Amino acid sequence: MSAAQSEVQLASSVPVQLLGVDGALVGHPVFSRYVADLSDEVLLGLYRHMVVERRFDVEATSLQRQGELALWVPASGQEAAQVGTIAALESTDRVFPTYREHAMALYRGISAEQLMATFRAAKHTGWDPGKFNFNWYSIVLASQALHAAGWAMGIKQDVSTGALGEGRTADEVVLACLGDGATSQGDVHESMVFASSYQLPVLYFIQNNHWAISVPLKTQSRAPLAHRAAGYGFEGIRVDGNDVLASYAVAKHMAAQIRAGSGPKLVEAVTYRMGAHTTADDPTKYRTDEEVESWKRRDPVARYRKWLEAEGILDQQFVDQVDAEAAQLAADLRTAVHEMEPVDLERVFDTVYAEPHRQVQVEKAWLKDYEAGFAEDQGVEF
Amino acid sequence: MSQTFNLPDVGEGLTEAEIVSWKVKPGDTVAVNDVICEIETAKSLVELPVPYTGVVQELVAQEGDTIEVGQPLIRIGSADDAAPEGDPGDAGDTSDTSAADTGAEAAGPVYGTVSGAAASPSSAAGQAAEPNSTTDTVSPQAEPAPRQEPAETQALVGSGPKADTPKARARTRATALDLVDVSDLGLEPVARSAPTADGGDLGPDVVRRASPPVRALAKRYGLSLSELLGTGDNGRITREDVEAQAEQKAKTPHDEVGAMPLSGSAVPSGGTPTPVQLGLLYDGPREERVQVRGVRKATALNVAASASTVPHVSVFKEVDITASMELRTALREDPRFAGLSVSPLLFAAKAIIWALRRNRQVNATWQETHYTLCNYVNLGIAAATPRGLVVPVIHDAQAYTTQGLAAAITALTTDAREGKTTPAQMQGGTVSITSIGSLGLDFGTPILPPGQAAIVMLGAVRTKPWVVDGQIVPRQIVTIGGSFDHRLIDGDLAGAFITDIATILEQPGLLLD
Repeated sequence: MSAAQSEVQLASSVPVQLLGVDGALVGHPVFSRYVADLSDEVLLGLYRHMVVERRFDVEATSLQRQGELALWVPASGQEAAQVGTIAALESTDRVFPTYREHAMALYRGISAEQLMATFRAAKHTGWDPGKFNFNWYSIVLASQALHAAGWAMGIKQDVSTGALGEGRTADEVVLACLGDGATSQGDVHESMVFASSYQLPVLYFIQNNHWAISVPLKTQSRAPLAHRAAGYGFEGIRVDGNDVLASYAVAKHMAAQIRAGSGPKLVEAVTYRMGAHTTADDPTKYRTDEEVESWKRRDPVARYRKWLEAEGILDQQFVDQVDAEAAQLAADLRTAVHEMEPVDLERVFDTVYAEPHRQVQVEKAWLKDYEAGFAEDQGVEF
Repeated sequence: MSQTFNLPDVGEGLTEAEIVSWKVKPGDTVAVNDVICEIETAKSLVELPVPYTGVVQELVAQEGDTIEVGQPLIRIGSADDAAPEGDPGDAGDTSDTSAADTGAEAAGPVYGTVSGAAASPSSAAGQAAEPNSTTDTVSPQAEPAPRQEPAETQALVGSGPKADTPKARARTRATALDLVDVSDLGLEPVARSAPTADGGDLGPDVVRRASPPVRALAKRYGLSLSELLGTGDNGRITREDVEAQAEQKAKTPHDEVGAMPLSGSAVPSGGTPTPVQLGLLYDGPREERVQVRGVRKATALNVAASASTVPHVSVFKEVDITASMELRTALREDPRFAGLSVSPLLFAAKAIIWALRRNRQVNATWQETHYTLCNYVNLGIAAATPRGLVVPVIHDAQAYTTQGLAAAITALTTDAREGKTTPAQMQGGTVSITSIGSLGLDFGTPILPPGQAAIVMLGAVRTKPWVVDGQIVPRQIVTIGGSFDHRLIDGDLAGAFITDIATILEQPGLLLD
């Protein structure tokens, strides 16, 4: 095993790219073959998912500005990294998202309404993680990396004891999503150590969008984040996260090795969030217009569309169809958000533990007493 | 009919925002998600998209205003003004195709107007607005393409809101964590330190009652929150409370600060006789701070800007208006004028229009490097209303017959008194008239409305001794005059203009030409 560790190479700092910024295909000795035989249907599906997510993101941002959501986490700009990666996985592969993986969630069939129920505080979690093999959003970032390692450990043990759960596969890949900011947190370190020690089937998928809220990447890491994998003894790779084909190919490649028992792998998708970290911050205060403009020129959707059109795969009819679908989804989302009922707080307490728990009871009693103590409800005038 | 978009809680727990700029104006058509204004909060500049489709009826807040979360920002009417569709309040009693479509109940606004189709005008507008920025962002040849909303893809910047922020609500008691026997849980009772005089250790209640920007302001003034009384909702400490206290403190000798009364009912501890003991003018606190809002605020801004930038000059003239008053009596008996206000104001309005034909430079707007002469009269009529001073405008007043003008004045003043004057009706005046005679006054020096070079003042009509053909006779006398923009109008022109008005009032028959 010590011999194997010494063979881990540092990732190239040049991200893998299959589709240039100009929309022309770039050949790659390893990764080109993963996209060479993709059907038009699959290729158009990638386009469709990116466009729909982008429209969804715009609507959610507006709803937040209109007072309908306390917070929104825009994913615009990161569509290719998300869609390419999720498309490369099997539907039985468990995903542990951050709170920004909207394109992935929609890809898995989680509806816009289900996704939004959490942000609207109408549901603790809007979807059944088991049904979609897609865990709930993690608000306490980096914790999801530990959950992913734990899940992968469980899979590994189930396989060894022959007690695999219904619907689970023996070659499951567990996707641990994280951002560049989370890599500075201890949880991620623990997760990677654990995954490496037990050779767990985890694919760490870092969307390096260059800004941890207002902290730039260069402050957090002097070396490419993909290099960190080597320190834990597994392979890391950088990919152009604004290139949906490269994102797909690299994820497909890494997942295949994990399924074959390689142990954990790491993908650093180099991308950029075009919007704010969340709607509660103002990116113009910490980054320059020039930087944003430079990333606009690398837009993942425009680049991919250009290639699809040049290849004669995408026609105007499909473009219109997708735009209409996206607009409908946005309208449905708006309607759904307005109709959501607030969550019953009492139920939140009652569902913390399966059995009664003293501390939760105390806190529930406190809340009830607190809510009963408002003057206006007792006709007291001030 | 109309839907109001209140200022959302912009971000996590912010309480107020300043309107930096409006991107729309009354009469504009907007679609869901169109950006209507830019606001600035303690955190960031934010572009606000509108949640309704329709026509802008009113910008409730003005640029530069700082308003609290939950206060109205803009009112949007339905595109078809006659249809109450979409109004949450009316949803229940309309035949409501929209509400039925969406299952919306009273609580749910807009859905009827929200659809894919409704979204497209907004995107089209966005595209037209900045064609370059979109095409620049992608490689040549490629369409900017799958983005439908170029304006929106560049991500609305800033913080996020909730429409109706939970205000700190008043409580009757504290709630402690000792409701059940928790002795076995090892929980320590939390000792809450009382607020200290220097504000170093604020109680949670005080902290809760003042927003972070207000606390920061207090700190800049060197004030402790514990010495502040909140006048906001539910005792919330406002920016004004801090400023008032800072002002007070600056005027008060240091040794008295601690004993300073915070309201009229308090009695200073010093030996001097207190005003409370001496009695006050009327029942109420000794001093009362009144928030400046609405028409008062708009008036203040307008007159301050006008008085400080425009050199005003005033002239006056006493006029024998007897002939006009006789004509008035005749017109009042004319059935064509039934129900209309036939007043000295009407004659003055006609006289102004006549006089403007002869004194063109009075009907103009000064624009520093040039001025614009107006070949039409948009006549502003100042009206004292319960809401305050409003100046609705009769557009193209020169085109009206006397009867038409009487009807217009009647309608305008009625609307104004009932508070129905819309902002659009107050736009675009070229010359104004203020009739202070109705207040029993003879003359005064009005402030020019923004952008206008002349405002005519009309005093009370009084019967006075007057010399006619060497004889002292009782005649109907009025003082006319006004204020003029001296950059544009010298005393001689102002005098000629007022004299021409006087001529018409003296001899209304000249209007027959």
